[in-house]
Amino acid sequence: MSGVLPPGFAVAEPFVADWVLPDAAARMAKRQSSRIEDLRRFYGVMLPLGEAALAHLRDFELGSVPEDSERLLKLMLALAEVAPAVEWYNDPRVYDGFPVERIRYLRQIPDTAAQA
Amino acid sequence: MNELSKPPVPGIGLTAKYPELGTGPVDTAIYHQPEIYAKEMEAIFKRSWYMIGRVEQIPKPGDFFTSYMPTFRQEVLVCRDREGSVNAFHNVCTHRGNVVEHRPSGHSNGLFMCRFHGWSYDLKGNLARIRDEEGFFGIDKACNGLKTVPMGIWEGFIWVSSVDDPHQSLGEFLGEQGADTAGYPWGDCTQFYQFETEIDCNWKLVNDSPAEVYHIPVLHPNSAAPTMMASGNTMGRLLDAEIKGNHRTNSHYSVMGEPKPVQKLAYFHAAAAQNVAVDEKGYELPKGINPARSPWWTVDLIMFFPTIGFTLSAGMYTAHQVWPVGPNKSIYQQRVFVRPARTAAERFGQENTMVEFRDVVMEDFSTLERIQRALDSGQIRQFHYHDHELALRHQHKVVTDILAQYDREQAGDAA
Repeated sequence: MSGVLPPGFAVAEPFVADWVLPDAAARMAKRQSSRIEDLRRFYGVMLPLGEAALAHLRDFELGSVPEDSERLLKLMLALAEVAPAVEWYNDPRVYDGFPVERIRYLRQIPDTAAQA
Repeated sequence: MNELSKPPVPGIGLTAKYPELGTGPVDTAIYHQPEIYAKEMEAIFKRSWYMIGRVEQIPKPGDFFTSYMPTFRQEVLVCRDREGSVNAFHNVCTHRGNVVEHRPSGHSNGLFMCRFHGWSYDLKGNLARIRDEEGFFGIDKACNGLKTVPMGIWEGFIWVSSVDDPHQSLGEFLGEQGADTAGYPWGDCTQFYQFETEIDCNWKLVNDSPAEVYHIPVLHPNSAAPTMMASGNTMGRLLDAEIKGNHRTNSHYSVMGEPKPVQKLAYFHAAAAQNVAVDEKGYELPKGINPARSPWWTVDLIMFFPTIGFTLSAGMYTAHQVWPVGPNKSIYQQRVFVRPARTAAERFGQENTMVEFRDVVMEDFSTLERIQRALDSGQIRQFHYHDHELALRHQHKVVTDILAQYDREQAGDAA
């Protein structure tokens, strides 16, 4: 019986509902529509888990990632999206930047499918 | 820290290598005047080739993708036929002009059927079937297949021309730049993200954006600067710049600074997808990449005039492509190409790379519409180029020379 997240990552469970998202475009939109305080809270919980999470994810080949580990991967992908907001800008938006909502993704790399 | 970690700051003197470029301020008219844009369309864009995809997008017979070329308002269909050849067609039904294939990509069972009235074409573009053919008045199917688009393949990239009779072959167009950068493992980076945006600015401003790094310490203080400008390169100088006909290459000097925490995770766990990766395969880079063979090299900007450049490291690359659609309007497309990830941990590195590039480009592009307003309103009539903004000076000279040559051609025709 698998949990929401793999053992050892329970502290991130409160973020699963909001931050396990279908793709990069959805993660970008979520970051843009969040307050920086909420991004910092997510980042603050996820960053200390990062080393352990990637060590865990290293054991799973894309295309056969169990559901609990897939959620953990998606939280880590969201961490990649959120990182510039917290580390570079202290703002959800790119500081003084071109409006990111004006870009359209034409192609994305699937989150969990095997890659040739 | 070894000796290599403390490189000398690059000097001034790039422009002096190319005295024909001059050193004075340049007139900004080519950045906004409608009549100059109209002339560029004839003298530059209709005479160039355009990258629209890669062969890995259509590995099997029947695989296809479609592409829209905004500059020319042309729809293109690219497919692989049963013999394994790649074919490019105008994606226009010869019945009434609808697109024959409306999907961005997919697999065909051997026939493309127009969703308007059901005319069907095979993988070689032959008109295979006319629905209710007896109701027409003697259409010769052999003369009404899909019209082919001039197409060429370089290093797995599929290039097309917008005109039936290209001004140059693809090989001539790519020139020395193409020859000197062939052999890089372009095809190893099979995975890519692609996004686009419309920007109210001239196409040359989009090209200018990554073509100098003089701006990096100022415009990218927290993002690109700490990693690109470590070890005292506080003015943001290039390692080198080389001009090859209309094309050019900037080599970027860089020493890794201290990465930010999430970068550090990505660099450690998924180095192959990062632009700072040192390649583990041990191949020799072709002579046009890091031409100076500097140990402090990280990234080249390989520009193919007029509309596409590759920011390229040993392990991955991005393609910056601009589609001019007016004197002060452009479509920008970015593709971030990375190697396939095997594990879920490596997948994280791909996403980190894409997000970093995207946000840095958003920083770059903050300037474009502002500059264009200053150009359109006449608030700036000259640009002053730094020695390390050589690429911009070169682009200005190339455009100016081509337009002057075109004027001479037209005058000759009239005489």
